[in-house]
Amino acid sequence: MQLDAPSPTRPLRHRLRSAACLLLASGACAGKATAQSGNTQLDTSTLFYTERGRTTVVEPMVRLTRSLSDGQSFSAQLVLDAMTGASPTGATPSKIAQTVTSASGSTSTTEALKVPVSPFRDFRGALDFDWVRPLGLVTPTTSAHVSRERDYRSLGASEVVSIDLMQRLTTLTVGGGYNSDEVTPIGGTPIGLSDGSVRTQGSNSKRVASGTIGLSRVLTRRWLVGVTGTRIAERGYLTEPYKVVSLLDSVGTPSDQLTEKRPESRSRSGIEASSAYHLDQDVVYTTYRYYWDDWGIRSHTLDFKYRHELGSTTYFTPHVRLYAQTQADFFSGGLQQGVPLPTFASADYRLGPLRSGTLGGTFGFHLPKSPGELTLRVEYIHQWGKGDRGDGETGDVEGPSDDHRSSVSSTVTHPTVAPVDIGTVVLGYSVGF
Amino acid sequence: MSSHRGVLGAALLIIVIAGMNGCAAMSVHPWDRDLLAEKKMKLVPSPTERAIDDHIYFSKEGSTGGQGVGGGGCGCN
Amino acid sequence: MSVIAEAAPRPRVAPTFRLPGISSPVASDSLAGKVVLIDFWASWCEPCRKSFPWMSDLQKRRAAEGLVIVAINLDKERDKADAFLDQHPAPFLVAFDPEGKTAEAYHVSGMPTSVLVGRDGTILETHIGFDPKKAGAWDAKIAEACKR
Repeated sequence: MQLDAPSPTRPLRHRLRSAACLLLASGACAGKATAQSGNTQLDTSTLFYTERGRTTVVEPMVRLTRSLSDGQSFSAQLVLDAMTGASPTGATPSKIAQTVTSASGSTSTTEALKVPVSPFRDFRGALDFDWVRPLGLVTPTTSAHVSRERDYRSLGASEVVSIDLMQRLTTLTVGGGYNSDEVTPIGGTPIGLSDGSVRTQGSNSKRVASGTIGLSRVLTRRWLVGVTGTRIAERGYLTEPYKVVSLLDSVGTPSDQLTEKRPESRSRSGIEASSAYHLDQDVVYTTYRYYWDDWGIRSHTLDFKYRHELGSTTYFTPHVRLYAQTQADFFSGGLQQGVPLPTFASADYRLGPLRSGTLGGTFGFHLPKSPGELTLRVEYIHQWGKGDRGDGETGDVEGPSDDHRSSVSSTVTHPTVAPVDIGTVVLGYSVGF
Repeated sequence: MSSHRGVLGAALLIIVIAGMNGCAAMSVHPWDRDLLAEKKMKLVPSPTERAIDDHIYFSKEGSTGGQGVGGGGCGCN
Repeated sequence: MSVIAEAAPRPRVAPTFRLPGISSPVASDSLAGKVVLIDFWASWCEPCRKSFPWMSDLQKRRAAEGLVIVAINLDKERDKADAFLDQHPAPFLVAFDPEGKTAEAYHVSGMPTSVLVGRDGTILETHIGFDPKKAGAWDAKIAEACKR
C-alpha cells in the first residue's frame, strides 16, 4: 500500500449522528427533526482530489437510505476510488540523481533534490451497510463494511448504541467495532530493514479493534456540545511494504536504501470536543481533537466552519482546519551507514513532524423547481513539515524525538517532509422521495 | 504519561458536560428546541463531508479521526 | 415511540389559560363542561404534521359529543406557525403561546403533547408524541371521556 489510498468508510461519528436524528423522529419530538419526511433518501457525491506533482483521485459515492414508519432505517453505500500518480517512497532526496528499482523490477530515476516518488495506479471499492433501530430512548446501529483494492482487503463490523437521557437533552453513545484486513503486497512481502530482495508470497493479516464513548448535550436553546473518546488497537502487519528508508554515507548523501519496518502493534487514542452554536440565522461549528498513540505521534486538530445563510435554501460555509503532529519514535530521514540498525524505521512523511492547513468553502443550493439539495465544495490544503521553511528549500530538520526508544541518528539536512499542495472539489446531491 | 493525561482530560470533559445537568435541563424546555430541530443543528452537519474529510486526512496524516469503529480499509498510515 | 399515560391518583385540575387565537382570544373558562383535548404543537415538530389530519378528523367526528380540540402553538415566530397552518388545515381552535407559559403550567415534556381534560376540568390523561398506530386507542379513551 504505497499510496495515499483512501480510507475506510463511514466514520463512527457519521453513524452516531444518523442514529440520533432518526431516534428523535420516531415519536416524541423533543429536539431534532428528521432528515427528511419521505421514505427513501439518496445521497451522492464525487470527490476530485489532486496533489501537485503527485496523486490524483476521483471518488464517486452513492448512498441509499430507506426509513420505515417505526423509525428503523437501512442504508447501503458504495464508494469507488480511482487513483493514479506518484507517491513518495521514503527515500531521502539527494544532491545527485537517484535511481530506484521498484518491486515489479522497473527502475525510475529521480532528479537531484527532488523527493523520490514511485508511480502507481490503483482502484478501490468499498461497500457499507447500516441498520438503525430506535427502541424508545435506546437506538442501536449495526454496521458492516467490506472493501477491496489490488493489494488490500478489509472486512469489518460495528455496533453503536445511543441512549437519550434527561428529556433527550443528553445523548450517551457507546460503540465497538472490529476489522479484519489482509495486505497482499505486489511482488511479495519484503523483510523489514533489508535490501528487499527476499520476499515472501502470500498475505499478511491486520486486526483492528476499536471502542468509542461519547456524550452530547444541549446547553442552551442555541448551543449543542459533545465530547467523544476513541481507542483503537491494531495488531499484525502495519508496515508499508513499498516504502524505503535511505542509508546515508558519512556526508549524508543517500547511498543505498532499505525497506521500512514498523511495529506489529499500535494503540491509538483520541478525544474530540465539538460544538454547534446557532446565531440568528447562521451556525458556527467548532471541533478540537487531541490524538496520541504508542508510536510517539501526538496531534492537535482544530476545525472551524461557519454556515452563512444566503436565502431560505442557499448557504455558504467557509471552512478552516489546522493540524499539527509530532513524529513517530522510529521516524527517520535516513539511517547512518555503519551504525547498527534500529529495530524499526520509517521515512514515511505521514509519520513525520507534519503541519497542515486547510482553507475552503461549501456552497449549498437547490435547483429551481427541483427537489433535493446540491453542494459544491472547494478546498485547498497545504501540508508541510516542521523544520521545513515551507518554500521547498533545504533547511535543517529536527532529528528524531528524545524518546529513549529511538536509536536512529540522522544527519539529514534536507526536509524529510516536503511541502505538498492539495486541491479538492466535491460535488454532492441529496434528495428524498 | 501523555496517555494518562489524555484519559484524565477525557474523563474530566465528560464529567463536566454530564454535570451540567441542572443548568441545561432547567433552561431548555421542549418548546425551546425550535433551533435545535433544524437539520443543520448537529455536531456533524454533513456526515458525507465528514466521511470525505476523515478519509483524506487519514490518508495524509498520522492520526485517525475516530473512524476506527467498523471502518478500516487501507494501510495508508 | 414513547407514550406516557398519566393516571394521577388525585386528578389534577387543568391549569386555566387565556391566549390569543387566530381571530379572537381562546380562554379555558369558555370551555367549561366540554371534553377538551389540548394539543401543544410547533411548526418545527415533525410528528405534528401527522397529528393535524388526525385531529381535524377527530374534531369533526366528536364535536357533537362535546369534544373541543384546542391546539396551542409554541412557535417563537408567528409567521412560522401561520405557514404551517396554511399547509395543514386546522378546523379546530388554535391558540398561540410563544412564551411557553401555558406549556410550562401543563408540564409539557415533549413535542407534541396532548392533554385530555374531562368535563369537570381535571386532567384525565397526557400523551407525549404522536404515533399513528396508537391513535385508535387514544381515540377510544377520548370517546369514553365524552360519554361521562
